[in-house]
Parts: sequence; structure tokens; C-alpha cells
Amino acid sequence: MVEWHGVPRPAAHPVRIDGGLTLRSKRGEVAQTWWSRRFIEVLESFGMASRLERGRAYARTGQVISMSLSTSLVVALIAGTRPEPYRARIGVKKFNDEEWRRIERALASQAIFTAKLLAGEMPPEIEGVFTELDLTLFPETMRELSMDCTCPDWQAPCKHLAATCYLLAESFDTDPFEIFAWRGRSREELLENLRGLRGSLKAQEQRAEKPVVALEDCLDRYWEQPPAQTVPTPDLVVTHHPDALLDQVDPLPLEVRKRKVVDLLRPAYRAMVKGANRST
Amino acid sequence: MFVLHGLCMADGRLALWAEDSQPTERAPTTPTQAPTAAHDQATSATPGEATSDAPDQAIHSTPDQGVLDTPDLIGLGTSAHATSGAPTQPDLGTPDQGVLGTPAQAASGTPDQPDLGTPDQPDLGTSRLGASGTPSRDAVGTTATPDHDTPRGLRQEAFNPLGREPSDTAERSPSALLNRSARGTSTRVVFDTSDRDPSTSPRQKASGSTGEAASGTAGRNVAGTPSQAASDTAHRTATDTLDSAAADTLGTAAAAAHPFAVGGDVLVELLGGGKADTVVVRLPSYSSAPAASPELVRGSLTVEPALEGALRLRGWVVPVVVVDVLPESVVDCRTGASLRYLVDVAEFARDLVARGRVLPSVDSEAPVARWVPALSGVDSVRFASLREAMPPVCRGAEGVGSPEAALRGVLHVLLDNEVRGALRGVGSLTRGRTPVDLWLRALVGEPVFEADAVDLVELRAKLGAWRASAERENAVRVCFRLSSPDQGGFANEGWRLEFLLQAVDEPSVVVLAEQVWRDDGVLWRWVDHPQEVLLADLGRASRLYPELDVALRERHPTRLDLDAAGAYEFLTRAALLAQAGFGVLLPTWWREPRRLGLRLTTTTAKRGDPGVVESESKLGLKALVGYRWDLALGEELLTEEELAELAAAKMPLVKVRGQWVHVDQQRLTAGLAFLKRGGTGRMPAEQVLLQSWSEEADDGLPLPVTGVHGDGWLGDLLSGEAEQRLELVEPPAGLHATLRPYQVRGLAWLAFLDELGLGACLADDMGLGKTVQLLALEVWKRQDGKRAPTLVVCPMSVVGNWQREASRFAPGLDVHVHHGADRLSGAELRATVAAHDLVITTYAIATRDALPLAEVEWDRVVLDEAQNIKNASTRQSRAVRGFPARHRVVLTGTPVENRLAELWSLMDFANPGILATLNAFRARFAVPIERYRDEDAAVRLRKITRPFVLRRLKTDPRVITDLPDKLEMKQLCTLTTEQATLYRAVVNDMLERIEDAQGLQRKGMVIAGMSKLKQVCNHPAQLLGDGSRVAGRSGKVDRLEEVLEEIIADGDKVLCFTQFTRFGDMIVPHLAARFDTEVLFLHGGTPKGARDRMVERFQSATGPSIFVLSLKAGGTGLNLTAANHVIHLDRWWNPAVEDQATDRAFRIGQRNHVQVRKFVCIGTLEEKIDLMIEEKRSLAQLVVGAGENWLTELSTGQLRELLTLSPEAVGG
Repeated sequence: MVEWHGVPRPAAHPVRIDGGLTLRSKRGEVAQTWWSRRFIEVLESFGMASRLERGRAYARTGQVISMSLSTSLVVALIAGTRPEPYRARIGVKKFNDEEWRRIERALASQAIFTAKLLAGEMPPEIEGVFTELDLTLFPETMRELSMDCTCPDWQAPCKHLAATCYLLAESFDTDPFEIFAWRGRSREELLENLRGLRGSLKAQEQRAEKPVVALEDCLDRYWEQPPAQTVPTPDLVVTHHPDALLDQVDPLPLEVRKRKVVDLLRPAYRAMVKGANRST
Repeated sequence: MFVLHGLCMADGRLALWAEDSQPTERAPTTPTQAPTAAHDQATSATPGEATSDAPDQAIHSTPDQGVLDTPDLIGLGTSAHATSGAPTQPDLGTPDQGVLGTPAQAASGTPDQPDLGTPDQPDLGTSRLGASGTPSRDAVGTTATPDHDTPRGLRQEAFNPLGREPSDTAERSPSALLNRSARGTSTRVVFDTSDRDPSTSPRQKASGSTGEAASGTAGRNVAGTPSQAASDTAHRTATDTLDSAAADTLGTAAAAAHPFAVGGDVLVELLGGGKADTVVVRLPSYSSAPAASPELVRGSLTVEPALEGALRLRGWVVPVVVVDVLPESVVDCRTGASLRYLVDVAEFARDLVARGRVLPSVDSEAPVARWVPALSGVDSVRFASLREAMPPVCRGAEGVGSPEAALRGVLHVLLDNEVRGALRGVGSLTRGRTPVDLWLRALVGEPVFEADAVDLVELRAKLGAWRASAERENAVRVCFRLSSPDQGGFANEGWRLEFLLQAVDEPSVVVLAEQVWRDDGVLWRWVDHPQEVLLADLGRASRLYPELDVALRERHPTRLDLDAAGAYEFLTRAALLAQAGFGVLLPTWWREPRRLGLRLTTTTAKRGDPGVVESESKLGLKALVGYRWDLALGEELLTEEELAELAAAKMPLVKVRGQWVHVDQQRLTAGLAFLKRGGTGRMPAEQVLLQSWSEEADDGLPLPVTGVHGDGWLGDLLSGEAEQRLELVEPPAGLHATLRPYQVRGLAWLAFLDELGLGACLADDMGLGKTVQLLALEVWKRQDGKRAPTLVVCPMSVVGNWQREASRFAPGLDVHVHHGADRLSGAELRATVAAHDLVITTYAIATRDALPLAEVEWDRVVLDEAQNIKNASTRQSRAVRGFPARHRVVLTGTPVENRLAELWSLMDFANPGILATLNAFRARFAVPIERYRDEDAAVRLRKITRPFVLRRLKTDPRVITDLPDKLEMKQLCTLTTEQATLYRAVVNDMLERIEDAQGLQRKGMVIAGMSKLKQVCNHPAQLLGDGSRVAGRSGKVDRLEEVLEEIIADGDKVLCFTQFTRFGDMIVPHLAARFDTEVLFLHGGTPKGARDRMVERFQSATGPSIFVLSLKAGGTGLNLTAANHVIHLDRWWNPAVEDQATDRAFRIGQRNHVQVRKFVCIGTLEEKIDLMIEEKRSLAQLVVGAGENWLTELSTGQLRELLTLSPEAVGG
């Protein structure tokens, strides 16, 4: 036990809260993708393994009450050992307008960046783009990050900041646009600007949804099947890959005993497609 | 007649309900429930008790009174009572009362038709009450007790003096019927009342008559007056206590019960299971009753009764059966548009599952694992299209919202069921105990799993986000188009993979990526930012096809340039991309690949060839034939140089003879090695026939067989043109028929296969004379001496036809009919069979007597109407398979090539093993052809089967020239036992009476008797006029169904003439339900406007294909040339009248050939008078010309001879 000013430290049982944010990954590495791992790597490069470990545990047990991301700043409230939650802040330098202009011009030069981002991926080549511009998308050293926390722990990152970092990394997993937002460009702004650089025109106004016809208004055709457009026949698909859908959707953040749930589902897909085709 | 409808329920499940065209008279055929105390009480209302209420008023009607239809009356029979034995209802004498025009009557069926038991159908006991009696007029209660020994028409009747409120008297619970029939009594208690009082509130009528539809007691309790209910307990028939749950529902719901919905119990019975429930369904309604669906047919009075008030939406309590899965098929029901729609939804669900487009999920409320659809690309458009196509009635159930919600609900339920069905037998996915494990297990096993609220919320959130990623729906999608170097214009340009955007719902809208980058707004109708869709889709596609990244390096990617290896790489990924929802446009040669394979060429040894031993040169499957294997691309042989070129190629895609082909080097090497080992030799002919079936790895072949060719007889057989090439067989002298040229070719073909011992499937179109060809084969085969007998198995309905045609065309053949209750058995059967040439039996008897019949060594077994064994696993299919025979023939008129399971069953009977096992057949042919429309597999299947199948269409030029423009034939039918009993009773009764009668009175009796006999020949229920069951009681109707089935299968149209409007009334709803199609009916009562509309619709290509007409109303003045079949259901015995009717279809300018069938019951007056006319045509025309009066001039002795039933008349 650590003595602190000669007084025994209060038992370090954090306040339990309900409905806190939790990491989807329950064991092992938090970051699932290369880009979020890049961010975690920075954090982990400082050593302090035990502190990070406790932070990760915090993130997993739901001690983080809330987290919000805006330009340059991530603010999280974390339930610690005191009744009042601690506030952890992680700041990063946002790119200025000039920098963004250069970045956007570079991103617009190759379709792959927008394509992959829209498909939910951070293209690996993106680091090269930033390097060329003498910028770094992911903070590489502690100096690029400013962190503080209202907890009494003097060291940064404390476990609360660590917990916040892990959750942040995971949100980068889900949506790579979040990193850009942190750096000063929301998804909409970025896409809009890229659109402009591609030379797109303004969008049309929204197409109106068809209103639902009330039953009372179709008494004269109540029993009939309304004429509907002919549907194109689906492409000839030979079911060589019964489980292909599992590879087309985003990764499912579920694991049991270190096995991806998606992989546990695969045999079911194979059996299902086989069974369904047998029964015809 | 029932019309089955489907409903979406608020919880996503499906419910089925049905309307009944005769809600009072419907009786299921088998009892399902044991009688309860209430039923005992009810059924104890014996005729004696009933009549004791009003003994003085009981009358005994004579058969004459019971049935008064003379042909002269029939055509005019517009009002219900005119066709239903009016004299039994003395109080219904005025025409306006007879017409079924008031809402209450329409709602409660046809109260004018008295109910009568039939001796051999005790289970048909029905009880029925009319809608109401007015206080001013006595209602009529009739209690009929059909005596098992007396002819029908003889009945006891009693007037019921009690005036009844409609609600009170309506008594027609279907379940009550069931219970009564369980007691085995044929007693019917009939309260025939007529509601003529307009002051009776429609509300009362409706609710009164309906309560019963859901339940006996329930309906009364809801709407009945207690005192009145008590007053007539003696007459109460069954009540159904089992349905008290439904009664509660009725009692609490504000809505009234639907007046002509089918009751819950009957519905359960109809659907073969499920649990009855009630639901409030909103339907367009008049003030008194809901409007009927357009599919509901109510006999000749199809004109919607003039219901009062404007249509408005109103809720009705409807008995339903809630289901998770749609029933496979419901026989003898018409399906409403709503049910057909749900079938489409089920098919969509099945297709999604078969393609793996589903995702696991958790119910939004409970810890229940669910499979849900993953809709993207075309699938989301199909969903949208289904949503638009939902008939409003589908969401009529109370609490059901928008089409979107309703469709999503049922789709999810159907799909979850479909997945679980497909996963049946699959082991657990995991063993752990975490909530996720439990959920995974619940996806395969029992859907409910344990999870605490927190875990559940988390699981739901993660799965929800995951699923959303699969359903990112866009109205446009990326398409990849691969074009080969020669397609691009510049020869040196290489392979190109172009990117395009395609509107998913309008696939013809395809925009090149270049144009998308120009952003000219062409796709704005579909999306705001087409460029971003293009980019996002390319990004997603690159996960499956990483090579795309190269193209994405550009600012405005439009295509990916590839070399041949790259193109091949893309082709192997194409299916994966297509499955993920991307459009993939491939060169046609890839879709219909010319596969590298082996081609077999055989040479039959010829007599005189050096080294050929005489016996070897004979025809036969054991005969050895020379063969040579070659490598081929599709059907084209490859030359040595080409092979060398292919072997040297470094790429899997090679251009051969100007076309790109995919060549697998490994397989090419294996093929070359195979040829080197021994590409030539000799093999038995049967092995050659089996080779065309071979896939690779079979029989040690390294490659699939792409073609089998030969010369000589084997070549003829393989080509499928044996019929054209064969040397003709001289029609044998013993055949008393002149064969048409195509029939001579058919005989030669049959004889050819007979000599080879190969089973034959003669599948000529109907009317081309399959029977006579088979008879010719038998005479030809037997002209050299006695052989073992041939067994003909056919449906009951054509036994008589076979018998008659055999005696007419092949009188030299000894024919024995093995049929009937007194048929032979044991040694007697063996001896008799051995002494005959042809033994005719039915499928039913063949199944029942399978053992003794399997002990005979048959020369040949012939299956007529072989579609009877279309399901190979049925008992009768297995029975006929077990009969040993030297040779087998199947005869069928239905186009077998489109019904793969049927084709397998037929082929496997004719040549066991030729199409391998059913499972192997499904995997290789049925699934690829039916599910994936695999043309290649279809072509292979045709090649395999064509040696054994001969199918000539009546439209074939080679056949059509042989056919007369008008092909007339008699269709001989047998009577059922019930018909025969009835027939004999009518004859005896009539002969007894005319004994003492004179002059006009006698004349009238003869005419009436004849008319009755004709009605018996048509259907027992026509004479009885009791609205009882139609199916399975008449040989004529059975045969009619078989003939219509072929006509419909061929896409033809038919006119059916009858002189009895009431017969039309009976069969129109029956046929509509049996074939689930609209059946037009034109009779004397049809107004001019309706008549013109019917004719117009029938003449249009998409219009209904069956048109029933009364001879009087439809015999003249109409132009119905769309029909290429005419059926005369009963005979007028006046050729001129019949010809006139026939000419409705056969007009100058008619392009179709017309087949005319005259239905004649064998051994009855129909056949005897027909023969008289045939034999003495000139004389007959003289005497018959004036009508049927000449019959009345015959002496009693002559009449007896004419009318006595011949023994062969009875079928079964």
C-alpha cells in the first residue's frame, strides 16, 4: 500500500455507477484497427503499464460516465473513489485552416481516401499524406497531447485519462472520421469541402417520402394487389460463399473466449444455405 | 367453395382466414372432435322428434316432386328455387322470394336449397338454418331422413310452426357438423326459412348468421333472444362448447361476427393443423354485411347482391388460424390476392435465406434470438416493391399499421422460421455460459435465452449497429463491367474493368463513372451525392477485391486495367461481389461458359463389318459399341494444334476460335493424360447412355462429359430424333384403327425402345392419341404369339375409356379389368391374369393389391396419366415401382420438362436409376435449374432424358398437318358406387310408375326420369340439390378435373357446355377452388352486359381459361374463338345442337385446332343412346332431330333395356 503524507490512503474502491460507457472489447487489446492502435501506441509508449492497466479496467467496467469529442478537446467524466466524478480532458492541437486546406487538397487528389473513409476505414496511405505536409494525424509524442484530470493523482496520464484514451481509441475504430473531428474537421465539413474540390454541385432538395395510404381510402381496391414496379432479378449468385455477408458488414465487436463471434457464426451460415437449398 | 385469405398480424405473425360461398352447408369430411354432452343432446334430435313437433304438416315428397328439372326448365333456371326442387318448399312460390337477392340470404348462404343426406356419405351430415322467418309467415322446417335403401329424393319433411328470429335460428356451426358426423348418422335437420321481412334489422341478420361461423352457442348468446333460444331447443342441432373461448371474444369485441367467414374448426381442418383464434378484421362493408372478395363465387348468382348503403370500413370478428409458416398447399380452395401476396413474401424470405442474406439479432423487447433480413442492393428494392404491392386487406387486422411495418413484421417471422428450418439438426455453435454464448445457442435452438437487462441492452446495441452497417441502403449501386480486349475497339487496350453507377430499381439506368465525375445530375433522382455513393461502394468493394485500390489512386477513378490473369482473378471474385450487392456485368461467354470437357463418339458395329460376330451386332443395351474420347470445348472438338496451344498458354484465359475461354491447366493436363492412356475402345451401349450424365470424378473421368454422339441406332437414340429417323413399323393387321402419320412414328419409337428394353415416356399433347399408340404397340408385339400380360395402371376415371378403346381398336386383345369390390384375388387372379393380354387396374387398386400384382411377371407395365406418381415417395408410386416387367411405359400429357421432381419420378419408373438418386438429381439439376436458372444444367438434363421421352405438341408442324381441324372424341367415364346406386333406384322407381301410367302422364314421367338419370351421371349432388360436397363423388367430374388440368398446364382455353344450370352452379365454385383460378359461368340468367364482359375477358389473352356455359344460353350467337377445347359435359342427343355449341369455338378464321370432347358415362343411358345415334345416324337424325321426345315412345321393355346399368358402368 502506498503511504501518502503518512496517512493511509482511503480504500481504493471506486464508486460503482450504472449505465457507464464500457469498452466493447472485454479482454486483450482494445484497438481493433491499425489507426486506433496507432493512438494507443502513443499512450503505451510512456510506460506506466500498471496505471494503463487500471485505466483499461475502468473503461471496461463502465466507470466512464460520459465522453464528448469536439475540436481539439475530449472531455470525459469518470466515477472514481470520490462521490463527485473526475473530469478528464485530452487536448490536441487542431490543424489551422491553412493546414486543412492543404490536407483536403491532398485527400481529394486520390479517390482512395474518401472511398475508404466512407466505407468505414482509415486508408493506411493517409499517414503518408500528412507526413508530406509535415503534419501528423495521430499525435506521436506526449507533447502533442495535453491532458489533465481533476483527480488527486499528480501523474499524467492517470488511470482516468487512460480509461478515456481507450474509449477514444475505440470510437476511432467505429468511425475514422472522429479523428478528423478531433483535429478540427467534422465529417460533414470534410465531405463538403472534398466535394467542392471534386467540383460537385449542390445537392437537390430531399425527395419526399411517399405517404401511407389509409385503409379507408382504398375500399375500391381493398382485395387487390396494387401494381408494383417489376423488380430486377438478382444477379445470378452461386452460393460458393454462404457466409460472405459476414465479411461485408462492419466488424462485429463481440468475442467469446478470444474467438470472434462472427467466426462462431460461420458454420451456421454454411449449414443454413445448404439446408435452404436442399429443401427446394 | 372457400376463398383463403392472409392477414398480417400486429405481432408480425401471419393469420389465415377464409370466406365460404355456402356458409351454411359446408361440411368437412373427417371428424376431429369427440362429441360432447351438448352434441349428444343436439344430435338426439332425431327425425322422429323433429316431426313430432308438427306431425300434421309433414309431407312426403316423391322423387318427381323432389326433382322437377326437365331440360326445358333448366335453361331458364335463373332463380335459386327453380333449380333446387321448388315443390318441396311450398311457401317459396313467388319468384322474388326465390331469388337470392337480399343481404341476409347472401350472407347466410343459399337457404333455398334443402339439405339431404346421401346414403354412402354419412359423414357429410350437415345442419343448417336459413336466415329467418317472419312472424307473419310460417317458417318451414324440413327434416329429411334419407333411407339407405330408398332412392333419393324421397324425404320426410316437416313444417316448423315456430317463427324464428334470424339470430336465433341460425345454426350451422361447422364444428357441430363434425360432431354429428362423428356419430355416424346421416340425419340432417334443416330449417329452411326465408327472410322476407325488410323490417328485420340487417345488423341482427348479420350477427345472427355469423355467430355460428365462429361457434354454435356463442353466436346465439351474442345475438339471440333468450326466450326464443329456449323455445326451440328440441330443434337445436349441435352446439359447440369447445368454442367458448371464441364466444368470449365475440362477447367482448365491439365488432360483429363476419357472416360468411369459415369457422375456426373447419379452418384448422382445412389447413391441416394450427390453433383457431378470432381477430377483428377491417373490411369494406355495406350497412349489413361485409363485401365479399372478388374471388368468392356463388354459383349462377355471382352478380353481387344489391347491398344497401355505401361501402365503408368496418371491423368484423373473423375466425383465423395464426401460423408461422404458410401451408404448402391447401387443396380445393381459391386463394385470395392477400394470400398469394404472402406466398410471395415467403418466397422472398426463402430466397434471402438461401443466399445467406440474414443476420442474427435480438428481439427488441425480450431476450429472444432472432434472425432478421439483411436488405441491401436489389433486395431492398424487392422489399420496397413488395411493400407497394401489398393488398390493403393484408393489413386489415386491427392494430396493424403501415404496409412497411406490416411487411417487415411478417417477413421477419417467416424468415426466422425459414432459417431455423434450414438449421435443423445443426449442433450448438458454442459451449460457453456467457450471455453471448447463450444468445448464440438460441440462434440455433430454442430462441429464448437468459440474459440480464444490462447484458441485453449492450448486446442489442452492438448487434443493432452491426446490422445497420449491412443495410446501408442506397438507391444506386456500383456496377463492375468487365470487357475483353476485343470488345473495346482498340485491339491493344487489354482487359478493362469499368465502374458504373446503376439505379437499383431501374437497372436500365446505368451511368459510366466518367459521367458521375462530371456530376451532371443524371442520378439526382435517386441520390444527392452520386460521387460519394461511387466512392463509398468502391471502398467497400475493395475489401472483397483489394486489387481495386490501384484504381483508387486516381483522383477520378473510372476503371481498372487488367491483364488476362487479373481478369481471371476478377472473374473468380465476381460471385462474391454480386452477393455483396454490387452489380457485376460479365461477358456472355463467362456466363455460358464453353467448358473444357470430354466428348464421346461411338460407332455401332454393322453387320458384315470385319470381325463383328453376328450376335453382337444386334440392337440392345448389352451390345458393345466402339468409342473414342476427344477433348472438346463445349460441343466443339479441339484440334491437335489447338490443344498444343492451350497446353503452352500461361494464362487461364485463352482465346480459342475467336472466343475467350477459361482453361484450367491442371485439368487440361489431366485430360491429355487420360486420352494418352486410352481414348478409344468398346463399351456396352447402356454405359454410353449413362455417360452423358457423368460429371468429373465419376467413372474415373478427369473432366466432365460435354457431349455424346454416335452413329446407327445408338446415335438415333442419343440425338433424341429417333422418332424421325427410325424405320417405320407396319401397323399390325389386328389393329382396327387407321393411325395418323405421327402415330405411326410413335409406334415405331415405342417398338424401338421395346426391343431395346428401354423404358419409354410418351408425353404427347392431350388429344393426340396416346392410348391408341400404346394399343398398337401391344397388338404389334403380340402378333407373333402369346406373351405374358401387360398391366395398365390408370386413374379410375379412364378405366372405361381404356376398356372401350381396347375393344374398339384392338378387339383381338383379351382384356381384363381388375377393379371393384368383387375383384379377383389369389389363385383365381393369377390364372385370370395369365389368360389375358391386357390387365387394366387403377392406381388405388394397384396400391392396395401391390403384393399379388408384384408376383406376376408382366411383359410390360404401363402407367397412364403418369403424373399420378409425380411424388416418388407416395405409396402408389412405390407400389407400381415394385411390379416386375420386361418393359415399362409411362403416358402423360403434362409437360414434364418443367416439373423436375415429376420428371425424375417418371424417368426412374421407366428406367430405374437412369437419373441417379433423387438427392443427387436435386443437387445436379433441380436446384441449379429451378433456383439459379442454370441453362447449362437444363441443356444437360434434356440430353440425358431425350432418348426416352417422346413429346409431340399439337402445334408441331409435323403433327398439325396430320390432324383434322376439329378433333372429336368421346370421353368415357365410369360412375361411382354412389352414382350407380342412385341410378338404379331412379330407374326402378320410374319403371314401376310408368307401368300403370298412360299418355301425357307417362310421357312426362319418362322425360323427368331421363332428366334425373342424366343428372345422376353428372353428379349425385345435382339430383339431390343439397349443395353437398362436390369432390370425389362423380366419375365425370373427376375426369373433367384431369382433362382441365392438362388444358391449363398447356395454357389452353376451354368451353364447358352443360344443359343444367344447376350443374354449372355446382362445378363452377368447385373448379374455381380446385384450380385456384377464375371460372366464368354464363347461363340464362346472366344479364346482357355481364355476358358481353365475360366473352370479352375470355377472348383476351390474359383472361380466365375455363368458361362454363349453359347450352341454351351459350349455344348460339357468341364468338369464343379463344378456346381450343370444347367439352360437352352432358349430352343433348341432338348432334345439331351440340355442333352449334362447338362452333362457338370453331369458327372460320380460327387458327387453333379445336379438340371436342363429349363426356359419356359408360354403361348408362348416355352411352347407349350415343351408340344408337352412332349406329343409325341417319335414322337417329330423323327421330332424334326433334329433341328427346322419341324416347317417350319406347315401350317399357325397351326402356328397361335402354336404362339398365351395365356391370362395367361402376368404377368405384
